[in-house]
Amino acid sequence: MNQRNEFPEGKNIYQPHLMEIIEIIPETGDTKTFHIQFVEASLRETFSFLSGQFAEYSVFGEGEATFCISSSPTRMDHLEFSVKRVGRVTSALHQLNPGDIIGLRGPYGNHFPLDKLKGRNILFIGGGIGLAPLRSLIHNVLDNRSDYQDITILYGARSPQDLCFKYDLEAWSRNPLVKMITTVDVGDKDWKGKVGLVPIVLEEIRPSPDGAVAVTCGPPIMIRYTLKSLERLGFTPSQVWTTLEMKMKCGLGKCGRCNVGPIYVCKDGPVFSFAEMRNFVSDEF
Amino acid sequence: MYRKITRENLKKWLTGLKAQAEVLAPAKVNGLWTYTEFNSQELLRGFQNTRLPPKGLFLESLRALFGWKSQGGSLQLNPLSSLDGQRVIFGLRPCDARALRTLQPVFAGDYPDVFFLQNLSRTLLLGLACQVQCEGSFCSEMGIDPQDSADFDIFFREFPEGYIARIITDKGNILAGESAFEEASAEEWKLARGQIRGRREKPLFDLERVQVNVLEYFPDENFWRRISAKCINCGICTYVCPTCHCFDLCDLQMPGQGVRFRCWDSCAFPNFTKMAVHNPREEKWRRYRQRVSHKFNFFHQNFQTIACVGCGRCVVYCPVNLDLREVLLEVSR
Repeated sequence: MNQRNEFPEGKNIYQPHLMEIIEIIPETGDTKTFHIQFVEASLRETFSFLSGQFAEYSVFGEGEATFCISSSPTRMDHLEFSVKRVGRVTSALHQLNPGDIIGLRGPYGNHFPLDKLKGRNILFIGGGIGLAPLRSLIHNVLDNRSDYQDITILYGARSPQDLCFKYDLEAWSRNPLVKMITTVDVGDKDWKGKVGLVPIVLEEIRPSPDGAVAVTCGPPIMIRYTLKSLERLGFTPSQVWTTLEMKMKCGLGKCGRCNVGPIYVCKDGPVFSFAEMRNFVSDEF
Repeated sequence: MYRKITRENLKKWLTGLKAQAEVLAPAKVNGLWTYTEFNSQELLRGFQNTRLPPKGLFLESLRALFGWKSQGGSLQLNPLSSLDGQRVIFGLRPCDARALRTLQPVFAGDYPDVFFLQNLSRTLLLGLACQVQCEGSFCSEMGIDPQDSADFDIFFREFPEGYIARIITDKGNILAGESAFEEASAEEWKLARGQIRGRREKPLFDLERVQVNVLEYFPDENFWRRISAKCINCGICTYVCPTCHCFDLCDLQMPGQGVRFRCWDSCAFPNFTKMAVHNPREEKWRRYRQRVSHKFNFFHQNFQTIACVGCGRCVVYCPVNLDLREVLLEVSR
């Protein structure tokens, strides 16, 4: 009756690590990329993650929100995540400055299947802020370029002003080992790239499904039509991967928000092949 | 192993335990049965079950997780100390104990929630056999025996002279090793199994059929629209449910300091799954479908048990009489 329950040190799953913001990159009018570093020096050495994983980020006093880690595990100098200003926590993040302290719990969730991508042609299809998780994988793949065959990146946004990661887009279009296609729904007088919705441009460039894997992320409507286009091009559901968005709070498979069928998107995902998704995704998506 | 104890000695025994532990037992507070500090109250006269399930003693409706102090630009986290102190809860019903066992794997597993798990490990569960079928309940249909349970440390049955105790765990054995208990036989234990007043002759529905059929009904929008039509999204069914465990994480900021807490949330609320551009369960029928399908199928796929114990609280306290038993009966057909 008198035994004491020791609180296992560091085992409070809800308590985040403190992170310092070291740089903030404005991406578009409402999107910023944050470069962050662990306050505790030892964690800079021991923290690891895989492309496709996410974390819970805290603005203390405002709350927590879920974002993917948009930098690559091959570049561990610091971590990056990108945030569109839409709600309470994202608005609070947008008010912060370099030097400010935020919290991070993670990494959580599964990751893109690098083993299934090796030796393949890879087709990345991104829309808007949906490029963020793909960007982690693209950098990862490009940093081990010889492990992969042809790399094609198709990226679209509503307008030239809405393109995220313009510095990456420029670097990739200059890279002779990457086929880069950028498209916007509506161009302007300075726009020299393609104009048209992502699924339509996809069918124009007609990538071959032979020995290829497609990885896509973007708004739900884009994903829906992109999947149909890929199907017409001959891609099978097991050749197509995506990362799902669902409301999350805990990131640990407990709080119940991201439950779809028997799946907890935070714990069993967020990365799924379309072959896997067909088993649980219903009319809710 | 069985022991017996008189009513008077049980009270003395529980009172004695207060020297070592917090002792909770059912009592009426403002006219409602609730688990509260045991004060030698006239035990259990007219008690069937508490209005709220005991889950709040383990998964608190509001629980601080950590705090912080902020001064100028600096920020310091304040971890919380361990949840100390042994507890004994007397008078728990088999349905509610099963619910705690059902919740355990959710909060254990890859990411153990020490708050819930410490609350469970620091508490001895003393159960009490039911004598009346509670209003709205369907525990037997859910495979729960209201007069026997292995989900406790000690399980008591009432008999004319007092209580017969089935000692289930080592902890329970140590606790009942006190002199006030006498030896009892398996025969006496069997004899103490009384009748349940108001018990149905036949089950209302076949649980296995429910579990299978709910997946077949899942795509049937018209079915769920009709079933959920009168629901008013108040969320009381999830609030009084002993197995509902959805929660939110929120911050409270005060000048110079703050605290993050975990609080109950509900899948019945429209903003539960609301995202920036999309809400997969914006419509009421989708939320009601999620609750029923999760309890009676999805949860079982993950944890090999149904996330309902048939306590009947959601049936009794629903303000629009949306009777889960009727829904399950329809699903099982």
